[in-house]
Amino acid sequence: MIIRLLFAIYLATLPTFAQRGLKDIPDPDPIKQTAAFNLPEGMEIQLVASDPMIAKPVQMNFDSQGRLWLVSSGMYPHIVPGAEENDKVLILEDTNGDGVADKRTVFADNLHIPTAVLPADGGAYVANSTEIIFLKDTDGDGKADQRRVVLSGFGTEDTHHIVHTFEQGPDGMLYFLQSIYIHSHLETPYGVRRLMGGGIWHFRPETQRAEILSKGLINPWGFIFDEHGQTFATDGAGGHGINDIFPRSVFRTSPGAKRIVDGLNPGQPKLCGLEILSGSHIPEKLRGVLIAPDFRGHRINAYRLNPEGSSYNSTRIDDFLSSSHRAFRPIDVKMGPDGALYIADWYNPIIQHGEVDFRDERRDHSRGRIWRVTFKGQPLIEKKDFSKFTIKELLAHTISKERVHREQARNELRTRTDVLPEISAWSSKLTDDFSRMQAMWNHQAVNHTAVDLIKYLVESNDPRYRAAALRVIYHRHQEITDATNIIKKAINDKNGRVRLWAVSCLAQMPGPDSVPTALHALNHPVDKTMDFALWSIVREHQEHWAPEFEAGKPVFGDKLPHLIFAMKALGKSLSLESIFTSLDNGSLTPTERKDAISVISQVGSANNLSRLFKLAPKELTILDQLVTAAQIRKVQPAEGKEQLLPFLDSKKPTVFASAAKLSGLWKFAPARNKLVTAFTQSPAKRQAAAEGLRLFGDQETIKLFLKLSKESPDEATRVISVKELAKIAPDRAAASAVTLLQQDKAGKDEHSLFTSFLQSSRASTSLAKALKDKTLPTKIATLGLQRAGTSGRPPKDLIAALQLSGNLKPMSQEPSSADMAKLIERVRKEGDPHRGEKVYRQTDLQCTACHAIGGVGSPIGPDLISIGASAPVDYLITSLLNPNDKIKEGYHTTLVSEKNGNAQTGSLVSESDTEVVLRDYAGKTNRIARTDIKNITISPVSMMPPGLTAGLREDQFIDLVRFLSELGKEGDFKVSAKPIIRDWMTLQPHARTVDGIGHYGTAVFAERFEGYQWQAYGSKVSGELLPSELPKVKGRGRSTWGVARFAITQKGKVKLKINDTHLLDLFAGKNEIVLPEKGPAIIELNGNEDPQHFTLAVNSTSRQNGVLLELVIE
Amino acid sequence: MKRLWLSLLSIIIPASAVTFKDNDVVVLLGNTVIERAQKYGHLETAINLSTGKHKLKFRNLGWSGDTVFGHARSYFGPPKEGFDRLKSDLTELKPDVVIVCYGAVAAFDGEKGLPEFLAGYETLLTMIKSSANPREIIIVSPPSVENLGAPTPDMREHNKRLTLYSKALGELAQKHKLQFADFFTTLGSTKGLTDNGLHFTAAGYQAAAPKFVEALGLRLATGNQLQSEHARKLREATIAKNKLFFFRWRPANETYLRLFRKHEQGNNVKELPMFDPLIAKAEKEIEVLKKTTLSLK
Repeated sequence: MIIRLLFAIYLATLPTFAQRGLKDIPDPDPIKQTAAFNLPEGMEIQLVASDPMIAKPVQMNFDSQGRLWLVSSGMYPHIVPGAEENDKVLILEDTNGDGVADKRTVFADNLHIPTAVLPADGGAYVANSTEIIFLKDTDGDGKADQRRVVLSGFGTEDTHHIVHTFEQGPDGMLYFLQSIYIHSHLETPYGVRRLMGGGIWHFRPETQRAEILSKGLINPWGFIFDEHGQTFATDGAGGHGINDIFPRSVFRTSPGAKRIVDGLNPGQPKLCGLEILSGSHIPEKLRGVLIAPDFRGHRINAYRLNPEGSSYNSTRIDDFLSSSHRAFRPIDVKMGPDGALYIADWYNPIIQHGEVDFRDERRDHSRGRIWRVTFKGQPLIEKKDFSKFTIKELLAHTISKERVHREQARNELRTRTDVLPEISAWSSKLTDDFSRMQAMWNHQAVNHTAVDLIKYLVESNDPRYRAAALRVIYHRHQEITDATNIIKKAINDKNGRVRLWAVSCLAQMPGPDSVPTALHALNHPVDKTMDFALWSIVREHQEHWAPEFEAGKPVFGDKLPHLIFAMKALGKSLSLESIFTSLDNGSLTPTERKDAISVISQVGSANNLSRLFKLAPKELTILDQLVTAAQIRKVQPAEGKEQLLPFLDSKKPTVFASAAKLSGLWKFAPARNKLVTAFTQSPAKRQAAAEGLRLFGDQETIKLFLKLSKESPDEATRVISVKELAKIAPDRAAASAVTLLQQDKAGKDEHSLFTSFLQSSRASTSLAKALKDKTLPTKIATLGLQRAGTSGRPPKDLIAALQLSGNLKPMSQEPSSADMAKLIERVRKEGDPHRGEKVYRQTDLQCTACHAIGGVGSPIGPDLISIGASAPVDYLITSLLNPNDKIKEGYHTTLVSEKNGNAQTGSLVSESDTEVVLRDYAGKTNRIARTDIKNITISPVSMMPPGLTAGLREDQFIDLVRFLSELGKEGDFKVSAKPIIRDWMTLQPHARTVDGIGHYGTAVFAERFEGYQWQAYGSKVSGELLPSELPKVKGRGRSTWGVARFAITQKGKVKLKINDTHLLDLFAGKNEIVLPEKGPAIIELNGNEDPQHFTLAVNSTSRQNGVLLELVIE
Repeated sequence: MKRLWLSLLSIIIPASAVTFKDNDVVVLLGNTVIERAQKYGHLETAINLSTGKHKLKFRNLGWSGDTVFGHARSYFGPPKEGFDRLKSDLTELKPDVVIVCYGAVAAFDGEKGLPEFLAGYETLLTMIKSSANPREIIIVSPPSVENLGAPTPDMREHNKRLTLYSKALGELAQKHKLQFADFFTTLGSTKGLTDNGLHFTAAGYQAAAPKFVEALGLRLATGNQLQSEHARKLREATIAKNKLFFFRWRPANETYLRLFRKHEQGNNVKELPMFDPLIAKAEKEIEVLKKTTLSLK
């Protein structure tokens, strides 16, 4: 085992620590790096600039003269005491047009970890840690001689999160981003603006207005406008690919977010930078494609967007390019003034995140490259110096077919004086919508509102122009007298995206009508994005409509669904009279009725709940809803509780269970006897009755459990008594709990006793005491240690007691430097990633219970898709041995301390005024009422239990590390961009199939039989499904079958490629699809989103090779 | 009526000048206007040269967007954590003089926000006394704002609100028998000292610094002194010292150095005290430059 292994290495110590990992460092020669690129046919790459001309580029942008500006930070990640602030803004020029930078100007050299630069407005905006500054060269010597603070108050809690990613919008505003651990406080003439956590800002220098566009994302370093003014972002620490950024959108990890929207591609690599390929030099099939560097995997991913409802769908397509050079770290991509694509390469063999020591010698401080990508046979576009153009010439270029020309011309316009009359005169002659949109932006770019153009464009036949016009209204509605009418029309637009923009505009114009108008969108199809936007405006504008509604005004007219939506979204008690009336008079459709009931239970007062409870005999779901109301809102019916008694006589176990819970939650004494009877006499109701009794939580109950745990003749009753007693009075249950644990040979703790004893230090101490002089089976003691180790405040006494009683070694394993060096060497020389993948997939090891690779697996822990390409081997080893040592941002454990002294830990899912939701180690979500909470803290403990790998042989451990270290690198362990079926449900062995297969053949597997049990299963990294890994479902004789079901989310006709049809049957619904006997095949199917629609059965006795199903994209 | 009475009172009883003594630690506390002052140096230099020959240590604890509740100083927790952070900073620095300038952010809430602001201010004063027990606490009214004209917003209304807050601060000082420096009034109506209406540019600080000194009731150093080459060097040395103190006091990467990721990089917190000798050295230089500047007439 690993401890022995480390000990053995220790004896052979060599002082090689200083060199660890350094052998892995590739040759920095740019020629070698150039040779290491894998480029698709027709693509060429060339080095534009390299060290020592430049170092550590962080962001780049082009100016209107076609020069490349970049910020360079050798200081990152942290100033050395006594060192000067000497980071730089550099300007690169290619004066002879050969694509290579031949002139470098140091514009500024006294900056502090600058993370963004945007040449504009006659100078350059620079993100400089706590502030955004504007630098200007007033005497023409190429060096900045003026420095002005534009905005200050940005947090620096983590320097790889500080304010960054400047982008100038077509609207002339400066957009900038910040990340998860940053808290910013900007004082503006409009008041202070605070952003706690990640998010996206916009700022207009003329008006000095700074506002938040969107919140959340973990570490977003890519932000872009598309050709029609829609915005998208990528996340360097989140795995959702492209994120659709619309106003007031809230994404993962935004502090205090009750609700979030997801990105468009869950399960993607982490991406830094974002660009849209455009212009005539780009081959036609790539134009409009979004590219984003996967800096961990040394490659640049590509995505194609298509409008869908109020948002987009995004499909990953083949990589734009990749490299096998381990120091290639693409972090920014920009279209250049010549129509080529430029890549900023941070150049470092390791990822310089905070997990690596600030002073680690492998942190490179001096290298960096800029690359240029061109395409054979495609002429470059003409590079222009817009600073020399007249206003007229500039305007002509703002409608150029080349986007880079349009943008640079527009940015140059901002620096000219008195441009408005010329813009307006020129605009009036335009007749097509594309040009009008550009003209609308030209006005906006110089801080003016082109009302006429907006009115044209909101009537365009193309929804993209209508949406673009609404985006302008979003920012400038005060200047458009007709804004309200335009929006009222747009809220019923036939296009979902336009309707979403109408909601966004309304969010800017709070008033008694804003919410009622927005909710007209409910008369059209509502997808997740729209639902979020509506939910959000209802809450944000509550003070504008809720008081009116309370005063009896018919705010939503006769639109009951609108009212129900608003109340649900608000989650607060308002007058429910009209909803009750509709319920009573039977005017509601079944769906409306369901919604009406659920909203009453979610917001209703005690009196409302009394009224609702009367309806329960006809609407049994009300019982569960009252349970939630009692648990989370602490509200219960004011009267009529005696109606609960008949439910306790119900034959239906689910009805009894809900009623039992309500008895306890309501402390309804007349129900107690019924529960006691059920508990002791009715095996089917025993567990539910015990839970109900436990919820009474009083001394009488404790006494009862204590008595039954000792005296009941029935074993199940004794066990349940201990389990429930442990939850309310752990100290009284400790001794009996130890007995149960001693009998737990499977080591699974099915009664969750550890959770009960980890709820408070008093509880854990009582278990520790009870364990004194007792022995536990190794398995259960190990599990206990893991649970204790991942609780927010790991109890030392219990950990010691478990180690002693289970005769276990200490969990935390910290290899010495020399051991680590040896281990790294062995991983490199002996580790086999293919064997390692098998180790990874062992269920005992629990890797897949928490992690996904490329979205396949569990969402609890970080997705490991490119961990190997990003993390040094020593980091991987430490993370496995001692998870608390390295915790990925966004994956810290949240510790919720309750007023009663108990504590719960898990990852934070959401929080609101009423409740906090945690996800625990098993993926289970726990809702905790806000009123029960004392405080919430971020715990320095990982959700990943220590010692998971303790049971591995040393060769297995080495293989596992090798496998992890290969993930994301070029080769077998890079998740392919191809649309391969990776998510499956596998059939558990079932008695029915043995007979059934004789009668029906493998069609028996395709049946919709309720008794079948299905379990989630993910493909290997290669996408293969291994017959030998599938649960062995018995067929005829000795044969076994692996049966898996899957969905095809693409709609309509699709082609499916099967690697080998040997011993394989496939069904769509119940219909068998005829396949050739063996060999590869391509078949045509109709897509179906139901994850149980397609059934695949493979003979696992005879077939060895994996099954690979891939959709053919044409 | 009562307010009018009190404000009259504050005019009748003139503020005596603030006293400074050798080796005093002087803390400047407030929001953006105070925070940015450290980068330009005019304000601190002007105050320093107006305090006589005393050897003083200035510590700028200004923080953009901050309030009397510590809104900007908390990182991951509620404002209370920011307030507690300030408390521990003051406990450690043990200032003899604390110059407090809040109200610029709160004034956006207008008259309805005033009671909450004043209550918070009182809590802050109590905390300052209990944590550092300084000899002098000076309440400074926030600077007036500039009306720069369209397309920037009209700030006239905001100046009215600031008038209200400044008066209330005068009364608060009176109530607590503390010095009141009415910077709002001494600064008066200005133009061209800011480029967003709120925050001084370099030239703005240069012009506003004497008004701040005046509000403190100090006698400004002579023009000869202030415009001398020595004073320029003094200002540069002050800026350099402020930077070092900033890296020490408000380091980047706090998440790793002292908060919940300290298990990863907490070892590097050892670098923070390495700034102390550098600050001390810079302060020696300031002391010498101050002396030479004041030796001019």
